[in-house]
Amino acid sequence: MEAAAPTLAFPLPLEAYDVRVKIGGTAIVHGATLQVHPGELVAVVGPNGAGKSTLVRAICGLQRASAGVIAWSGREVRSLRGRELARLRAFVPQRMPVPAGVTVREAVTIGRSSQLRVLGRMTRADRDAIERAMARAEVGRFAERALVTLSGGELQRVQIAIGLAQEAPVLIADEPTSQLDLGATVEVAGLLRNLTAEGLTVLLVVHDLALAAAIADTVVVVSKGRTVAAGPPRQVLTPERLADVWRADAWLSEHDGRTALHVAWLGQR
Amino acid sequence: MTRRLIVLASLVALLLAAAIAELALGAVKVPPGEVLDILFGSGKTGPNHQIVESLRLPRTVEALVVGAALGVAGAILQGALANPLASPDVIGVTGGAGFGAILIIVLFPEKIALLPIGALVFGLLAAALVFVFAWTGRNRGSIAKVVLAGIAMLSLFTAGTTGLLAAFPEKAPSAIFFLAGGLTSSGWESLDTTWPYFLAGAVLVVFLIRPLDRLALGDDVAASLGSRPQLIRFGAAVAAALLAAASAAIAGLLAFLGLVVPHVVRMAGRTSSQTFVVPASALGGAALLAGGDTLARTVRAPIELPVGPFMVILGVPVFLWLLRRAL
Repeated sequence: MEAAAPTLAFPLPLEAYDVRVKIGGTAIVHGATLQVHPGELVAVVGPNGAGKSTLVRAICGLQRASAGVIAWSGREVRSLRGRELARLRAFVPQRMPVPAGVTVREAVTIGRSSQLRVLGRMTRADRDAIERAMARAEVGRFAERALVTLSGGELQRVQIAIGLAQEAPVLIADEPTSQLDLGATVEVAGLLRNLTAEGLTVLLVVHDLALAAAIADTVVVVSKGRTVAAGPPRQVLTPERLADVWRADAWLSEHDGRTALHVAWLGQR
Repeated sequence: MTRRLIVLASLVALLLAAAIAELALGAVKVPPGEVLDILFGSGKTGPNHQIVESLRLPRTVEALVVGAALGVAGAILQGALANPLASPDVIGVTGGAGFGAILIIVLFPEKIALLPIGALVFGLLAAALVFVFAWTGRNRGSIAKVVLAGIAMLSLFTAGTTGLLAAFPEKAPSAIFFLAGGLTSSGWESLDTTWPYFLAGAVLVVFLIRPLDRLALGDDVAASLGSRPQLIRFGAAVAAALLAAASAAIAGLLAFLGLVVPHVVRMAGRTSSQTFVVPASALGGAALLAGGDTLARTVRAPIELPVGPFMVILGVPVFLWLLRRAL
């Protein structure tokens, strides 16, 4: 993919050009480019080990990129301090440790603490932001329960609420549904789509291609550490690409907002 | 929320009761009313005034300061290392302080006044060595690396201590009191040398409370919220090292207190939020050490039992009972 220079006049919420990441001397990502427009839901897809999570961590500033440009609203990620970055994006990791003795409300409050000054006190506005985040992620009902008592789906929504409490314009989630059953996946997918409709920009790492096709405006395909395609799901997730990138004989179908991945599980008949 | 306030209020009440008992009880019993008179200066001079002001008051203050410091050190280490077993032991402080103290007893027995300095210096040295190994190279600052480096250093210095005692068995009796942990009525001297370390540790802790709460949600969440997990852990280890080394200099090895008090306050408050656990551990640690010391001085008076083992023997059954109910 051709790498263009970032357009700084009208900066996008997030742009990444030719990003390279090495972990312990091993190149994991070698040439990833993506752009995220305001108010869209972008799904990063790709096979296991393609470097999706590493790429997303680098974009979020959690992992140092060895080369390339990552710009949040036109500002290089390297030049941003942790607290500034926390105002521009929220990151929801794949699995959060679940500490004993922490309630949902406390966890969401911790998310909001990123917006406070060192030793600064919570203001009315901060408390409102916490309530709003819990309402938007629909966790208000069990706000006083301990995290350890929650189901996987509830916990995922709490993690999203922690991110929403930051009130950043972009929410990034690494495989938010990979641990969830069907019903909980539907719930979380609907929640993320609703948040996008409310104006939030969302970037997800997703494993499930049928899910990505159903909820994403744009799909970015990562293969062997490179971004190899980006665009609307139906244009990008073609049978040729599924064969090429995932080495599977499969095709996506869509009917009435329902998507399905039809796979020749045992190879060609 | 109200539960936490009730726990904090009870701890304050316990602390006051323990402090007054520590001042009032002993070979000479001074009525609590008189203790208050002496403290808040309706200016009597007399033998009771002497006993309370120059013998028991420094000892009480030591008990409160050391108890609070060890409670806080345990609380922040358990938080920073996400490990319920963490106490100043796991960053090497206790092992180093023990070695430093025994070194003075064995090599410079005529300069026993140097003992607190030896404990302080070697306690901090052991922690510094842990930091050097745990915060360099790959995965620097990871929990496993800190804990393993700490346990290795603890073993090393404990072996040094045991080796010295085996080589100079005639020194063992004077070493035992330090290793067991106990307070003395030696006046304000030890606090005079150690207060800057307590103060520095305490100030650092104030800045760590909120970052430690973020760390409870994992390194990724903490980092995405703008904190630096390894730096938080480093800060917590430095603060705990300062508090625990200064405590060891005054009162010997009382590791049990730092391990247990944070667990008890978490169970009582039903939360692990550090905004509650840190102050509650300070109050609880202070109350426990002052109360324990009073008992240790009075149950077999005029013999003074060392408060360390005494507290452990009384504390373990209580702790196990709480543990059974909580889990």
